[in-house]
Amino acid sequence: MAAQLYKTTSGRLFHAGQIAIITVGLPARGKTHVARSLCRYLRWLGVHTKVFSVGNYRRQAMGTAASLPHDFFNPENHETAEARHKIATECLQDMIIWLQEGGQVGIYDASNTTQDRRKEIHDTLISHNVHPVFIESICDKPEIIETNIRSVKITSPDYIGWDPEEAVKDYWSRINNHLSHYETITTMELNFVKMINVGERIIVNNVKGYLQSRIVYYLMNLHISPRIIYFARSGESMNEVSQRADAELSPTGIRYAQTLKRFLKTLRERERKERKEQGWGDDERMLTIWTSALRRSYQTAKPFLDEGYTVQQRPLLGEINLGEVDSLTVEEIKAKFPEEYVKQQKDPYHHRYPRAESYQDLAVRIESIILELEHEKNDVLIIANETVLRCLYAYLFDRPEDEIPRIAIPRNYLIEIIPSAYGCRETRMEIVDTFDQSIPILADLSNSGKG
Amino acid sequence: MSSDTKIACVMVGLPARGKTYIAQKVCRYLQWLSVSTKVFNVGNYRRKLHGAHQMHSFFDPNNKEGEIARREAAAEALKDMLRWFEVENGTVAIFDATNSTRERRTFILNHCKKQNIQVIFIETVCQDENLILQNIMDVKLSSPDYKDMDPEKAAEDFRARISHYEEAYETITENDFTYIKLINVGSQVVINLIQGYLQSRIVYYLMNLHIMPRSIFFSRHGESIFNLLGKIGGDSDLSPRGRKYANALPKLIHENLGNQPLTVWTSTMRRTIQTSEQLPYPKLQWKALDELDAGVCDGMTYEEIEERYPEDYANRDEDKFNYRYRGGESYRDVVLRLEPVIMELERQQNILIVGHQAILRCIYAYFHNLPHDELPYIKIPLHTVIKLTPKAYGCAEVRYRVEIDAVDTHRPKPQPKPPKPVINGNSISSSNLTNVAS
Repeated sequence: MAAQLYKTTSGRLFHAGQIAIITVGLPARGKTHVARSLCRYLRWLGVHTKVFSVGNYRRQAMGTAASLPHDFFNPENHETAEARHKIATECLQDMIIWLQEGGQVGIYDASNTTQDRRKEIHDTLISHNVHPVFIESICDKPEIIETNIRSVKITSPDYIGWDPEEAVKDYWSRINNHLSHYETITTMELNFVKMINVGERIIVNNVKGYLQSRIVYYLMNLHISPRIIYFARSGESMNEVSQRADAELSPTGIRYAQTLKRFLKTLRERERKERKEQGWGDDERMLTIWTSALRRSYQTAKPFLDEGYTVQQRPLLGEINLGEVDSLTVEEIKAKFPEEYVKQQKDPYHHRYPRAESYQDLAVRIESIILELEHEKNDVLIIANETVLRCLYAYLFDRPEDEIPRIAIPRNYLIEIIPSAYGCRETRMEIVDTFDQSIPILADLSNSGKG
Repeated sequence: MSSDTKIACVMVGLPARGKTYIAQKVCRYLQWLSVSTKVFNVGNYRRKLHGAHQMHSFFDPNNKEGEIARREAAAEALKDMLRWFEVENGTVAIFDATNSTRERRTFILNHCKKQNIQVIFIETVCQDENLILQNIMDVKLSSPDYKDMDPEKAAEDFRARISHYEEAYETITENDFTYIKLINVGSQVVINLIQGYLQSRIVYYLMNLHIMPRSIFFSRHGESIFNLLGKIGGDSDLSPRGRKYANALPKLIHENLGNQPLTVWTSTMRRTIQTSEQLPYPKLQWKALDELDAGVCDGMTYEEIEERYPEDYANRDEDKFNYRYRGGESYRDVVLRLEPVIMELERQQNILIVGHQAILRCIYAYFHNLPHDELPYIKIPLHTVIKLTPKAYGCAEVRYRVEIDAVDTHRPKPQPKPPKPVINGNSISSSNLTNVAS
């Protein structure tokens, strides 16, 4: 659903100025989750975006929380208040400089819990011609906060080597320090979004502009329920040369489709058993299969369809359009379009052969799929062409544009992706017919810390 | 969305807050996306049951008779809506009425819950007196309720009607309900407990609507070399006549728009870029505006297609909206990829789209709410500018023909033939297979 984004010569977008997203909220309200997810999404859209985390600045300047005096975060403590203010200002200044040097969206990740502080930030940004949007995360359900502390906070660099229970206690005291000074946003002149209980309720005030409205829509679709995403490529077709031919699956492709179904079913049964054993409860999660409208894609899902799974055809998931180089070999392309070939080698993400789509075009086309994927609470298997899977993968793992055309999505491998608060984890498995415990794993590329 | 999703959008708000406008827009947008959608307007039921020309006292909450009559109309509309979900397997119903009390909202919610219908309340709040007055003047006075009445008197009566509702009006505070509250045409929006992707799409659409006056201009590219040769697709240059059209375009637009700002959108194809070359406005190229991809038939004449792919050719005429060229696109596919263009058009002000026949048909159908079977036959001739001006209900249209000859690329809908069995897999269907409007 994204409109195409246009860069002017400055490298910024055609219809947006510089924007600062300022997070607001007590600790453990999911501010960083929001900041990181937004950053990943905007970067994938091609928007020059960067997170400026005051927490990281503080750790760099003063060391981790363990080495800080107990009452460092107490707002009553004027001595440390000054130190904290200095760090926060430095971080803000860095963001402004970055925006002036060509950045488009800066995300200022800090608690910013007082009216005074927000006014100061607002006025500073306005004076530098930066458009501020505040995103306040509010949570009045202690169980959500407790889960957040346990799953995210005590694994943060601040608590390396701590006893978990001690760390939780320390973190609650940090929250309580802020509590008495916390002022929710009430200034109606500000442009703000309030997210209450991870999107249960959202209040949007005075938010105008293209990117701003995209940001709100994205936030609306974000959730933190556990789920799994699987990628598999379409099976081999009778015509592997021409995409336009839209050929049926070959006998090999049909066998692959059947194997994929058996493999995934066995895998899911095993994982369900493991979750139960680990005390996560016995949850039978629904699996939905998304395919493109091309024969090789939806025919690969046929064994699932035959077993009563929900299979949804999404025409937008069709592979990259090769235009005039469809059914040409590399040698033929070199001969027929020598200049285009050189350009393509230089910038494979943005380059568009005559009448073809670039990877960027493809990314724009499947953007609504990304939003739907964020929204989806069921597990999803996406069966598509490698070009499409690359773009989706790049979104989930925050891969830079120039890497996207080279992301390996091998045939006969199932990629299992588990999203978490700060990023995704993946496992790659060879799709083999009999499933046993000694399943060959290609690589366990954990990405949880990245992005 | 899953195929069994049923959503009732229940409007909430005082009269003259733009409820019907929103109801119609959402209906049009979803129908265009192939989501089966219908509006149930309680006012129409009331007029049917009790006649138009009811004076404001009818709406006085102290008028027992009036209240019973109004409740009757609402119950009748609700009954029809529930039946529509049940019998006609509808997906989204829009229940257009004031629904201004908690009691009424709970009543509707409980009935829907029984049939597993999700309910989203859409409340419009407007504190801007001028906007309300303008809405009364533009819309309400031409309603059947005030036919043949002196406008001054009618406005007065309508304001009295509003004040009756105000007495009993309770804004939504039910935080266990799913709702969106649009305050002062979107300057503030509250979104509560949204469930499901389709609901979030509706909410996003609502957030992008605006009511500033503006016009949208459509023009096909000037006549191209391929047009002259009768070939479809391709990426050819303009013909000499096409270039003349490109030269004439700036004057036509300027005469129409004066010095108002305008942005020009083109596709990434030569013929639209060349057509817009002389226009002195900011220009954007959209890949999404590229012409329908004819797949293996690209670059052929219709005669060649008929000869080489006779079955495909016949299938296309049978159901042109759903027919997908082998390795290419159908009109249905094009609608999906144009969705962001529509969303952006809703947000923008004056826009000129220099586009292609199939693309402009899809966009035109959205603004005029034309059904899918008519869409592929809409006449969008070459060398003609179409100006659409959105009004409260629908769009006003003016066409400007430029006196430069061009070929006619319109192929009329063929006379119905006896149905043929579908041979290739384009119409694959199965109970679990759902085509999704993403």
